[in-house]
Order: sequence, then C-alpha cells, then structure tokens
Amino acid sequence: MSADKSTDASNDYRIKPGSGWSGAWKKAAAVGVFGFALAGFGFTQDAKRFAFSYLFAFFFFLSLALGALFFVVVQHLTKAGWSVTVRRTAEFFMAGLPAFAVLIIPLIALMAQLFPWLAPHAAAGHGASTHAEIALIREAHAADLHAPQAADSHAPRKAGPSVVARVAARDPEAALEAAKAHEHAKLIEGKKSYLNKPFFLARNAFYIVVWAALAYWFFKNSTDQDRTKSRQATVNAQTWSPLALALFALTLTFASVDWLMSLNPTWFSTIFGVQVFAGSVVSALAVLILVTMSLRDTTLKGAINVEHYHDIGKLLFGFNCFWAYISFSQFFLIWYANIPEELAYFHMRWSENGGTWQGVTAALPILHFAIPFWLLLSRNVKRNAAGLVLGSVLLLVVQVLEMYWNILPNFGPFAPHWLDLACFLGVGGAYLAVVFHRMENFPLVPVGDPRLARALHFENA
Amino acid sequence: MSAASKTEPKKRVALVLAQFETAADVIHAAAKVRDAGYNCWDTHTPFPIHGMDKAMGLPDSRVGWLVLGGALTGLTAGFAMMWWMNGVDYPTVVGGKPPFTTPSMVPVLFELTVLFSSFAAVFGMFGLNKLPRHHHPIFESDRFRSATDDKFFISIEAEDPKFNADKVRSLFEGANAKHVEVLEEEVEA
Repeated sequence: MSADKSTDASNDYRIKPGSGWSGAWKKAAAVGVFGFALAGFGFTQDAKRFAFSYLFAFFFFLSLALGALFFVVVQHLTKAGWSVTVRRTAEFFMAGLPAFAVLIIPLIALMAQLFPWLAPHAAAGHGASTHAEIALIREAHAADLHAPQAADSHAPRKAGPSVVARVAARDPEAALEAAKAHEHAKLIEGKKSYLNKPFFLARNAFYIVVWAALAYWFFKNSTDQDRTKSRQATVNAQTWSPLALALFALTLTFASVDWLMSLNPTWFSTIFGVQVFAGSVVSALAVLILVTMSLRDTTLKGAINVEHYHDIGKLLFGFNCFWAYISFSQFFLIWYANIPEELAYFHMRWSENGGTWQGVTAALPILHFAIPFWLLLSRNVKRNAAGLVLGSVLLLVVQVLEMYWNILPNFGPFAPHWLDLACFLGVGGAYLAVVFHRMENFPLVPVGDPRLARALHFENA
Repeated sequence: MSAASKTEPKKRVALVLAQFETAADVIHAAAKVRDAGYNCWDTHTPFPIHGMDKAMGLPDSRVGWLVLGGALTGLTAGFAMMWWMNGVDYPTVVGGKPPFTTPSMVPVLFELTVLFSSFAAVFGMFGLNKLPRHHHPIFESDRFRSATDDKFFISIEAEDPKFNADKVRSLFEGANAKHVEVLEEEVEA
C-alpha cells in the first residue's frame, strides 16, 4: 500500500514563495503592531477597559493555542496514524505558545484593574471592617425597618463609638449595602490563601513555563524528525504525551480559574475549567480545518483529503456537543440550586448590567449549539468543503463571542468598544506572526514520521 | 416457495460461492461483480477491507436516517410525556420551580433521544441485515468456515435477477478465484 512514494517526492510540503501564505507572518506582524499602537493609545484613554479588552483577546488566542497543544498531544497519546498529515498544522498553532510569555506582561501590569480581590479593603465598603460594626449596622437597619417612626427610641445604639453605625441608622439602604460589602470582603478574605498576588504570579510563571516547554519540546521533536526520520522520536512523543496531557489539563483549568473566574472572586463553579477546555478545543479544530482548507490545493495537495476532513469534522462536532453539554450542566445546576452566590454568574449576564447582555446570553445556545449541531450532523456536510468551512467559521466566531461574554460582563454593560478590536488585532497579530513564521520555515507535513504513508492513504471504513 | 406439496425433499441452487486468497484479489473481484450489474450478492472477509464499500458500489448506509428518526421520536415522546404529566395532568411544584419548565426537561429529553437513537441504530442494523435468521445456505460450505480466519469470499445469490450459475462461475474464475462452488438449499413442502 505504501509502495508508491512518487507523489511524496514531488511535493516537499513547504509554502512556495509567491503564494498567498508566503510572507503571511509579516502581514500578521503588521496587523499586530497596528493593533498594539491603537490599543496603547486606548490604554491612555481608559486603562480599565484596556485591561478587560486585552484579557479577552489574550485568553481567546491562548485557548486556541492550548487547544492545538491538546490536539497534538492526544494524537501521540492514541498513537493515531490517520492524523499525521494534519498534525503539523496543529503543531504550528501550538508552537505560538511561548509568545504568551511576552503577551501576558500587560495583564500582569494591570492586574489591579481586573481583580477585585487585589484591591485592599476596596470591597469592605464604608469602612466597616469589624464584626461588631457590621452587627450594629444590621441592627440599625432592622430597627429602621420595623419601626421607622420610632427611630429616637434607639438613640442609645446610635450613640455608640462607630460613626458608620450612626450613618447607617440614618440611611438603611447604605447600611444594607455595607453589610453586603462586608460579607463579600469576608468571603474574599477566606480565599486570600489562594487569591493573593505572589501566589498568583508564581502560578502564572508555572503555566507559562509549562506551556512554552511543552510547545517547544513537541515542536522540536517533530521537526527534528523531518531530517532524522528517527522512529525513536515518535516513540518519545508517545512516551511523554500522558504527562503532557495531565499538565495541560491542570494548567488550563487553573489558568481559567485565575484569569476568568477570579474576575468575580465570590463566584465559583467546579465545571468552569472543563467548559473553557471544551471551547478551546472547538476553536483549535475550527482553525485546523480553515487553515488546511486554504492550503489543500497548494502546499498540502495530496496530503489531506476528504477522509481527514471528515474525521476532524467529527471531532469538531463532538467537541461542540461536549461544550454544549458542559455549558448546560453548569447552567442547569446553578438554575436548580438557585443559590445567590452561584447565581451571580448568570445574574450578571441577564438582569444586571441593565440587561444588556441578555441578547448575547440567549444567542449562545442557538449559535454555539443548535445551528452548528444540525449543520454538522450529516456525514455529507462533513465531507463537503463548503459545509465544513461554514461550520468552522461559525464556531470560531461564536467562540470569540463566548470568550467576550465570559469576560466583559465583569467590566460593565454590553457595549462593544474599539479597544476590543484593537486588542484582538494586537494579540492575534503577534501570536499569528509567530505561528505563520514557523509555517514558512518548516514543511507543513511531518515528512519524517514513519506513519506518513499510512496517513496519506487513510480512508474511513 | 412455489413448490407443491411432495414427500421427497427437492433441492435448488441457492448461491454461488467463490473463495479468494488475498484481500487484493477479493476487492478486484468485487469491482467486477459490481460492474457486471448484480444486486443480490455479498463479500465475506475475516477483517474490514478499506475501499470495499466503493468496490462493491454500496450506497451510504440507511442506518443514519433510522437513527435520526429514532432521535426525533425520542425527543417528541419525552416532550409529550412531560407536557402531559407535568403540565396538564398532575402539575407539581418541585424545588420551587414551575411545574412545566424547559431547563429541567433537558436531561430527560437528552436521555430519551439517546435511548431511542440507540434502539433505532441496533434494531435498524438488524433489520437492514435481515437478522436474526436461523440458517443460510452459505453455511453448507465447509470452506466457508475460513471466512473468519484467513480466506476471502464472494457469494452471488440465486434470487438475483441476472443470476445464471454458469455465467457467475466463469465471472469468478476470470477474477482469480481459487475455488468456486454452487450451493443448494432444500425447497420445503
């Protein structure tokens, strides 16, 4: 079956000079520079908005790169032969991970704008900081509610040492707010052992090092094999893939808790990391389909055929159903339990912020699940280039929207800002410049992989 | 079928079975049978051979459509059940939730969709394969046992409108068959 190598020899699977992809990294870099210039100007206008917009862009592209890492590691873990020809494209997107070591710097610098748990006593509100004081405020509030006209009879309480308590008695609304704020502060206080700046920085240093190391090692292992044709390289990748997968799962989960969940530090959901993971794999598979599609008649001619697309399409469909399953599970448990501290997540995206996020919240189940489900369900659509491209574009766009919806409600009402676009272009341009630069310097198919011939002749049974 | 009631068992030709030595031989032979225009025939191999569907000219399996039908049936049945029970016949407030409300229906809808899809897939597969069935004349052949070991077979059944035992035999022999045999079945009274 693998005797016919004549087609392989005629194609070195490299991007030809003069093709649309040649010099693409320079264009991406230019877009990145333009985006960063614009975002830099935006930063001087509104540092807080910049921080949230930048986090949105950063985390979207990070999740895309991590999804690509997952794809590569899983192919080794399962010793997959069919995917050898598409694996390199995922490896390029994975190889952009070290760029995030630099791209994370603005976020670290602007942490105080993002995280309520960083501001000392900011959440304590009205200066109420002891249990005795808060009890007084509550008492005053209760007295006011039960006998508003008889406030004078409670004069001894108001004569206490705390100014706060006296103010509270005059203004029960403010007192209730203060009480809430105090509870909030207490909750955050309880999370201080995890949510504190030194530990946060240490954790992020760990994530960045792990991601860069995994990306570097798997990329180098695979590209070195192009020259050496060593079978041992494949064995090594398979040996290390379980550890890599465990590290991937832990770092992605903790990073999404750190950067997304802790934007609202009193809210928690144990399934949150899984949801981010599902979304990241959906983005990575969609990008894998779109990029290889754009190269299928040139550099990748003969290397990726309808059978491969059918399989990536199945994975895309499956992981999108997985995303829907996890997202609904999160919603369902929160809806059913109806506990205020858990409900806060959907409250913020439905009633709060003037109800401006309702449209996006309602659109996500339709755009992210109902439409792509029916679109990609059919075997014929997954084997049809136009159908698969349509599904991938939709899922990629909706994945951007979901990331936006995850982060920006913590900033305020739904009001798209040019800074969102500027940051998206900046971070995306910088990351893609690294990816495209790799693409231009290596073959787009792992030509040294011993299973290449098998992948070239792969057919769905 | 058309036999009148007689005491003596009568036999008639059921199928022609050809044995091939390699996967490549059987796939080429299958393409020849396909091109000759036969309808009632099948290949029997110890393992799935990539490209056999194409060589046999098989259309897409109809199981997918059966599964879709099963899925929609399960979804509709689940919805109707909950609508009737929770919404009309015996509305009960549980956990402070409205009696007939979408989120709490989703797990049931999902499970029933999956259950009915699985039924459709399994029983649809049985039905399309004409299973269960107690006997088939192909098992009259002793050679056929190695179809689960190391030999490859193609059978063309007598009920095929183009069937002609001699033509089939020469077709197989021209397609590098190692051995061709004609199998008979009893026509029962």
